[in-house]
Amino acid sequence: MTELILQALFSGVLIGSVYALVALGLALAFGAMRIINLAHGELVLLAAYMAYLVESRTGLDPYFAIPLALVVVAAASFVLFLLVDRIKDHRELNSLILTFAIGIILTNAILLVFASDVRTTASPFLQDAVSLGDLFAMRSEIIAFVLSLVLMGALWWWLKSSWYGRAVRAVSSNRGAAKLMGINPTRIETVSFLVAGALASFAGVALYTMSVVQPATGHALTVKAFIITVLAGVGSIPGVFLGAVLLGVTEALTVTLASSALQELAGMVLFLLVLFLMPNGLFGARARRG
Amino acid sequence: MPVTSNAAAQAAPAAVSQRGRGALIGAGVLALALLPLVAGASPYMLGLLISALILSGLALSWALLGNLGGMVSFGHAAFFGVGAYGSALLAGKLGMPVLLAIPLGGLIATVFSLAMLPALRLSGPYFALAILAYAQIFRILATELDWLTGGAAGLQRYPGLPTVLGFNLADRAGSYVLVLACVVVFALVYMALRRSHVGTALRAIADSEDATRVVGVNATVLKTWMLLLSAFIAGVFGALNAHIIGFLEPDYAFSGIWSVMPIIAAVFGGYRSVLGPIFGAVVIYLFDQVIAKSLIPVGHQILLGIVLAIMVLLAPNGLSGLVARFLPRLAGRSLSNAEKGHA
Repeated sequence: MTELILQALFSGVLIGSVYALVALGLALAFGAMRIINLAHGELVLLAAYMAYLVESRTGLDPYFAIPLALVVVAAASFVLFLLVDRIKDHRELNSLILTFAIGIILTNAILLVFASDVRTTASPFLQDAVSLGDLFAMRSEIIAFVLSLVLMGALWWWLKSSWYGRAVRAVSSNRGAAKLMGINPTRIETVSFLVAGALASFAGVALYTMSVVQPATGHALTVKAFIITVLAGVGSIPGVFLGAVLLGVTEALTVTLASSALQELAGMVLFLLVLFLMPNGLFGARARRG
Repeated sequence: MPVTSNAAAQAAPAAVSQRGRGALIGAGVLALALLPLVAGASPYMLGLLISALILSGLALSWALLGNLGGMVSFGHAAFFGVGAYGSALLAGKLGMPVLLAIPLGGLIATVFSLAMLPALRLSGPYFALAILAYAQIFRILATELDWLTGGAAGLQRYPGLPTVLGFNLADRAGSYVLVLACVVVFALVYMALRRSHVGTALRAIADSEDATRVVGVNATVLKTWMLLLSAFIAGVFGALNAHIIGFLEPDYAFSGIWSVMPIIAAVFGGYRSVLGPIFGAVVIYLFDQVIAKSLIPVGHQILLGIVLAIMVLLAPNGLSGLVARFLPRLAGRSLSNAEKGHA
């Protein structure tokens, strides 16, 4: 029993690292524009299907799809930004509805092109099991975990040290003041959406190699990313990582101890508990009450 | 948003706008009542229209919460499903008369919505996503509690609509009239509410919640009432639908469709008006079932997504906003007043 639980914890941490990439993309777009992008999970899904496209057509390793995914998803994210930027009235409410509509469009476009079948990698190399003591993982899970940590490190460095990264933080904390300092907010928002798209690309390809995807996965990913931002707030990268790991572990433990049918329920219950009992998130981020 | 923007709309002569609105409603109801005749009254067409009107009621309840309560719900399937199961179980297991079970189904949905009250303290996207989480939880519960709900296999041994005074509500014409009557009743309730002090207070809350609290309006209590009423209406239409189709399963009763379609219908028709969601639902449902499905059998919702995106971007006040803009003399006076009041 202990072994099973330890294994669940381990798997939860591995999938959680990819959830963190998805949630960070959502948080970046939220920080810059103060809107929740309900189509963010669909951007991740789009990248996953690019990986499927490259693998099924060329027989190459799915990771070779990353350049293609970056181009396609960044383009989609850019178009999404242009559309959201057009909304002037009731911005919070209308942008929710608009990004929701774009999510529906993307999900059904993927359904039309790739059919509703469940897809995952066929690569034996990636699916091979590796053991760390008593714990097991697929090679793809280890690769995805390392990739996620590297990307989070890169994102942390970018936000902290680069001019654009600092401008993103400036616009998030005070748009008006940032403008006075000579920062063009629209340009910074564009950059935020492009970086969010890049994170979604890596997350999507990683997800395709270590899990299964189908058109409905996109919506579920958006909800997971949102749950993580509720758990962790949108303030810090380590916070989002911890929130994501907590969600991953909760899901994995539910599957191990109860049933896989309850996996989604566990995430939702965790979400509602934190929302009502600790409304500022586990790590005390910004207030979110009306 | 300046609070004063409301004053102009409030000052508009109420009598004129009421008469205009009354005429509009009358014309609308007449149009819906005559629709089956125009549509040829084939059983297939009547069936479609009944489903469209069910959606009208659901869209109305969504718009009431969105317009008066200022809250976007991505989880109206929760109320719809609870109302459906509640009524089907009352009639099927306890043998309660169906016409009594339906409003009680709505009441059960209201009781379940009490569990969402903590979510009311949350702003915008947090409320929207919290309610989505509820809808998922209810769907999973309906699947797991199979001693009560029949689980994933579903529920089918419960009575359909009865015959009242020789009028068979179970045949398509009867069902159509009953559903239409329910839509009309709730539309009238909605209108009365909007005209009342409560409606004025809620509009003020939409403009500035803080300013409204300062003058002594309890915003949370008013929003609570809107949530409960919205849940009741959604539950009643869920119950009606359950007794008309005669079969329930969790994936159907709590389907995301019941959360998505009312949003599309209400935004398309104009969720800040009363008639917008009702007619929006009829147009959107018929478009989806008759045109979109024949063009794209799998993935036809892509067209709905495109319609929704276009409406939000180009006409955020929906069809009723367009009507108010382009037909100001004919029909718009009352509608455009309403639009101004919320702009």
